[in-house]
Amino acid sequence: MKNRRVWAFLCDLALCVGLLTVGSLPGSGLSGISTAAPVAVPSPVLINAAGATFPQPIYSKWFDTYHQQHPDVEFNYQGVGSGAGIRQTTEKTVDFGASDMPMTDQLLADAKKNLGCDLLHFPTVLGAAVPTYNIPGVTAQLKFTPESLSNIYLGKITKWNDPAITGPNPGVKLPDTDIVVIHRSEGSGTTFIWTDYLSKVNPEWASKVGHNSSVNWPVGLGGKGNEGVAGLVKQTPGAIGYIELIYVIQNNLSYGLVQNSSGKFIKADLASVTAAAATANMPADFRVSITNAPGNAVYPISSFTWLLIPSHIPDGTKRDDIKGFLKWMLTDGQKYTEALAYAPLPKAVVAKELKQIDRIQ
Amino acid sequence: MNRLGWRKAVNAIMSAVTALCAVTAVAPLLFVLGILAVKGASSINWSFLTQLPKPTGELGGGMANAIVGSGQLLLLAALFGVPLGVAGGIYLSEFGGWGVPFVVRYAADLLVSVPSIVIGIFAYAVVVVRMGHFSSLAGGFALAVMLLPIVVTNTEQFLRTVPVWLREGSLALGAGHWKTTISVVVPAAMQGILTGILLALARVAGETAPLLFTAFNNDYWARGFQQPVSSLPVRIYEYALSPYDDYHRQAWAAALLLLGLVLIVNVLSRLVLAKKMASRRIA
Repeated sequence: MKNRRVWAFLCDLALCVGLLTVGSLPGSGLSGISTAAPVAVPSPVLINAAGATFPQPIYSKWFDTYHQQHPDVEFNYQGVGSGAGIRQTTEKTVDFGASDMPMTDQLLADAKKNLGCDLLHFPTVLGAAVPTYNIPGVTAQLKFTPESLSNIYLGKITKWNDPAITGPNPGVKLPDTDIVVIHRSEGSGTTFIWTDYLSKVNPEWASKVGHNSSVNWPVGLGGKGNEGVAGLVKQTPGAIGYIELIYVIQNNLSYGLVQNSSGKFIKADLASVTAAAATANMPADFRVSITNAPGNAVYPISSFTWLLIPSHIPDGTKRDDIKGFLKWMLTDGQKYTEALAYAPLPKAVVAKELKQIDRIQ
Repeated sequence: MNRLGWRKAVNAIMSAVTALCAVTAVAPLLFVLGILAVKGASSINWSFLTQLPKPTGELGGGMANAIVGSGQLLLLAALFGVPLGVAGGIYLSEFGGWGVPFVVRYAADLLVSVPSIVIGIFAYAVVVVRMGHFSSLAGGFALAVMLLPIVVTNTEQFLRTVPVWLREGSLALGAGHWKTTISVVVPAAMQGILTGILLALARVAGETAPLLFTAFNNDYWARGFQQPVSSLPVRIYEYALSPYDDYHRQAWAAALLLLGLVLIVNVLSRLVLAKKMASRRIA
């Protein structure tokens, strides 16, 4: 009797396991439920990518749109941060990576050694790292100077009503509350853009902290990803953080104007980021920094962001799909940027990149 | 009289204090269940159960691939971990001498207490880097490593509860050691072993850390076992950190779903054990 019950139970278990297996097989009812395309498609190619969260909203929009137009290929993009993106691309665990930090010579040499080929930078869009804050009772758009931003992040300015902050903001009543500084916890391209800018405007920052994808922060709490910093700022009264513009817009956060190298307070938007892009003297390998760029209308914490593509992709199908996507992204894809507050690439850069696609073999 | 009154007062006070402690101890669980029920139940809907995730920041979409993915990972973990664990437990209880079982038991105890993130890194180094890509296989392997020591220890302990006279009876009737183990000892402990397996599966079902860099994540369906796969814990982790209200809603829904599954497995395992007790009494 006892035995029979045991066997009955084993059969139940086997049944459950079996159902799960069948359910996860391609083409079964369970996995077919939400296949968007009505046409029967043989298993699409899955291409894995990982990296920056700064451009993640536009990337996931692109990959989704591209998949709808080309149901035979899926791009699975995970925002793990630029640091991890570079690492995973170098270790060949993903097909390509993404970073808002141009790779250093050392990183490129490591990648070349591991991959057996070059890792190519493809600029995709331009974005802005903006200071976002959560001060109860303050709805006005604050003006930040390079000094106030760097001293907040150095831990020298600790109150919201510090004269360095109130000075450029007459008429805004700032409370006597502590500033909670928020930065990224992991290797981040957004951190690189932010610290690259602070290093350029403040010699003390440059010597004490420097610029990199992760630095030894003098003060503050860490959040994971642009979305993590946005979440922390949203939940923490008195907080300040730095995130890509689109995260501010999507989450109705407040963000400040930043004084550029000409002394003008500039709001991050399409025009001011595009103006920064125009100053770029694009080198052949596309590794360029445009923070603190000269010009009246320039937003000073703007940056290109890059896809990192190996120059040799052994799998022919994946190679063609990636090249196809790059061409689409540089041409048709650019029209999706403005809806997500990213600036499209300058025409001259697009032309150069289209040539670089041929280097992928 | 006075002394009796004092004793009664102390008794009443201490009873009240211990009762309060008991309630406090259970309160967090009730609190978690309550919040999950309130926030999660209103968020579970048809699209959550049947759709793929939408692009970052867009409303709607669901976690169908993560639900199936979690099942896929548990299946793999069970395939790797259960046969090995049960066989290991049988060896320890029935065939081991003194030396090897001591080392194995010690290793199993150590393995249980290894932080799950370390197991994730181990699986990353051993499987992901070797294979050259993230895969559900790697995630299943990491979960199996977590599952294994629990199943080994459980199996051994339940086999040890089988009375020695059952073994002696079988041997006296002419059955060999092997035959005795397979057809007398293991069946007698089968319900306990199954309970252990179910509880171990429920335990690893909620693990996030070992999956982050092994199973990774996938915005689409994982086909076969070679591709990265989405899972409920990783999705909850990612969505809970995000600033989007709609992602928070889905994270609550996923948390409720996960908790529901774990609870069902727990109840199931209790039923199995209860049956065992019932059959014991009849015997």
